[in-house]
Amino acid sequence: MPLLQWKADYSVGNPAIDHEHAEMIGQINRLYAQLDDPLDALQVVSVLGEIHADIAAHFALEERLMRTAHYAEYAQHKEDHEDLLDQVRDLMDVFSDDPQAGRKMLQQRLSDWFGRHFSTYDARLHKCLPEG
Amino acid sequence: MLESIQRAGRLIFRLPQTGLDWSFGNALNPLRHLGALTIFFLWIVLVSGIWLFIFFRTSVNGAYESVEYLTHDQWYLGGVMRSLHRYASDAAIVTLVFHVLKEFVYDRYRNARWFSWTTGVPLLWMIIPLGITGYWLVWDQLALYVALTTSELIDALPIFTESMARNFLSVSSLSNRFFTLMAFVHLIGLPIFLVFGIWLHVFRINRPKINPPRALMAGALLSMLALSMVYPALSQGKADPSAVPANLALDWYYLLVYPLMKSWSPGMVWLLLTGFSLLLCLAPWLPPARPPAVARVNLDNCNGCERCVEDCPFGAVEMKPRSDGKKYASEAVVNDSLCLSCGICVGACPTATPFREKSSLVPGIDLPDQSTADLREHVTRAASALRGDRRLLVFGCEGSRGLARLENTETAVISMTCMAQLPPSFVDFILSRGLADGVVLAGCANGDCQYRLGERWTLQRLNRTRDPRLRKRVDNEKIALLWSEPWSDYGGPKAAVAAFRNGLNKTRPASATSAVPKPGRPAAVVLAWGLFAAASVVFTFWPRYSQLQAGHAIISVSFSHAGKRLQECHRLSQQELQKLPPNMRKPTDCPRERHPVSVVFRADNKPVFTITVPPSGFWKDGESNIYQRIELPAGPHRLFIGMGDTGKAGEFDYESQDDVSLSAGQHLVIGFDPMTRTFVFK
Repeated sequence: MPLLQWKADYSVGNPAIDHEHAEMIGQINRLYAQLDDPLDALQVVSVLGEIHADIAAHFALEERLMRTAHYAEYAQHKEDHEDLLDQVRDLMDVFSDDPQAGRKMLQQRLSDWFGRHFSTYDARLHKCLPEG
Repeated sequence: MLESIQRAGRLIFRLPQTGLDWSFGNALNPLRHLGALTIFFLWIVLVSGIWLFIFFRTSVNGAYESVEYLTHDQWYLGGVMRSLHRYASDAAIVTLVFHVLKEFVYDRYRNARWFSWTTGVPLLWMIIPLGITGYWLVWDQLALYVALTTSELIDALPIFTESMARNFLSVSSLSNRFFTLMAFVHLIGLPIFLVFGIWLHVFRINRPKINPPRALMAGALLSMLALSMVYPALSQGKADPSAVPANLALDWYYLLVYPLMKSWSPGMVWLLLTGFSLLLCLAPWLPPARPPAVARVNLDNCNGCERCVEDCPFGAVEMKPRSDGKKYASEAVVNDSLCLSCGICVGACPTATPFREKSSLVPGIDLPDQSTADLREHVTRAASALRGDRRLLVFGCEGSRGLARLENTETAVISMTCMAQLPPSFVDFILSRGLADGVVLAGCANGDCQYRLGERWTLQRLNRTRDPRLRKRVDNEKIALLWSEPWSDYGGPKAAVAAFRNGLNKTRPASATSAVPKPGRPAAVVLAWGLFAAASVVFTFWPRYSQLQAGHAIISVSFSHAGKRLQECHRLSQQELQKLPPNMRKPTDCPRERHPVSVVFRADNKPVFTITVPPSGFWKDGESNIYQRIELPAGPHRLFIGMGDTGKAGEFDYESQDDVSLSAGQHLVIGFDPMTRTFVFK
């Protein structure tokens, strides 16, 4: 079973954002699935490095759309983004020190974050962003 | 050649720069806000000018009297406003000149910056005439000098057939309406162009600095106010066309070229002015600078987040509709003609992170000549050579100096174009991977970034108030941000880096890490503003200008006269008429062209001047304008003037001789009365 699941009500109504959300979930799930094989920790870190860049770019776009739409809850939403970026970076270092601890962190904290962020922050964003 | 001039200029600039850094603190150094200060002085001029206009009377007699009323009866407000109006205009020239010089010596006028530079030149042509018309309106003796000299300059241009200068030779020829016209030009005409010109000047710049920091505004206003109280601006006696004051307090800031008119011809002065302006306009291409390779967008890594657009100091990146069919709405596009290749956009791009080790590290936007991948390569290579437990990686920008001397086994220096080219994730990368124990960013001086906003963005990104933020996990105590001013509060890069290194292993590191500008030294600030006020005023009265040798008088020979026609009218014969189309047949044919008028002037039987003036107009059918000014020693003289208007050499059709006694400073006008056809001495 994949770590994260995309649900239809996660959609924020903007095709670019929804597309990136789905891609992000796919990336993390792929990584998670690979973790069952005995993997080189450095490999995982470098994949996480790519994921980190993608998430950062995704957040940058989403934040720009929120600012353009004068989204009222921008500040809190943005802080939650920064929090995830901090967590992914932490995860990278945890992985290179102790892959088992990293796996656990990915399983608990990150999946928590995604579930919470999609169902609360992004759900509130629904229909607030331009649709195309 | 150009480079050595610029290098010498920078060296000279560094002295006041450092002194003012020490006095004001880096961020408030007036030399870093010269353009904005100039605009602020123009604001003072505008506000004080509105007050003056309320009381100003636009008439020959009213102009001078109303200014006198403001200066003396209403000294507490009107007088202060008048002084503010004048001194702020002079201060604006001081800051403007330094602004131009600074942009020149720091080479901030070529490549994509040509637009701001070249649109600055017409601003000079608006500000200087504003000052000139301002002096004119006061209608004192300086105003008369300004009026005459300006008219002589304008008369040299083929615009008016009549001589404009002649209007200022006697009171009777001057009308109140002239002052209305002048007030219009000074109050509305020129200022409208100036506002438009300033808008155009900063048009291409992202976040232009229009206003200086408040503390500087306060300092500028207070210094001008103090100057106005201590040394109020005064008029120099009512304009009197019948006399020529031997010496005048001239505002050299505005009237610098006017004294040239005494020894040069107006044409030469125009040549100087236009030549100089043209040289300034073309300076960005003299010689043409080699433009560096501009930033390139990689669409595979660009989702249109716009961070590069927000951070580009030159507005060189814009958003355009997506062109590659991806689901995003827009993409970044670089306008090559605006890009200066500073790399600030790369530092802003969320995909420019060294942690991307699986792909080829091509960010959404990158510099072809200094790619992010190369930078990472460079960093890892430099770091691998470092030894010790206090290893430092120092990043220097184009504006940093003296960094090469820092290199040793513990310290590596990496050069970049601009500090903000470095994405904050690089700092995280270096420290978390243990590539070094500390990171030093040595940028241009605070507020004086060669690429305008690089220093500001770097500081904000590292302080986590601007995207992309430095991750929270990075210990800021391991980062030193220093400005490469050798004598600044940081004690120069070497001392700052040494202090930083020594602090690295302690529990509470020494604070070389602070980039907070020092508060400055109040006494030195007051002194600096005092010196500035003095500089703004001293060249408005010193050195004095004598337009006339002591004990001399001036004679103006000024009149218009039409020469006789070259050919008499003649009746056309029937035959000649037949040759013409029916609608053009007329009984007489009168050729329009006239003879030139020649004038000979002798004083005490010695020739003073002989001139031949061609008729005016395209068809050479207008009057010839005679306008000459001669200086003679005071005392009795026998003056002779003769004029020929029939083209016969050596013959006078009109002549006159008069014995006059000239007093020193007298202004005698010799005219020609067209009714009586005689010369008039008055």
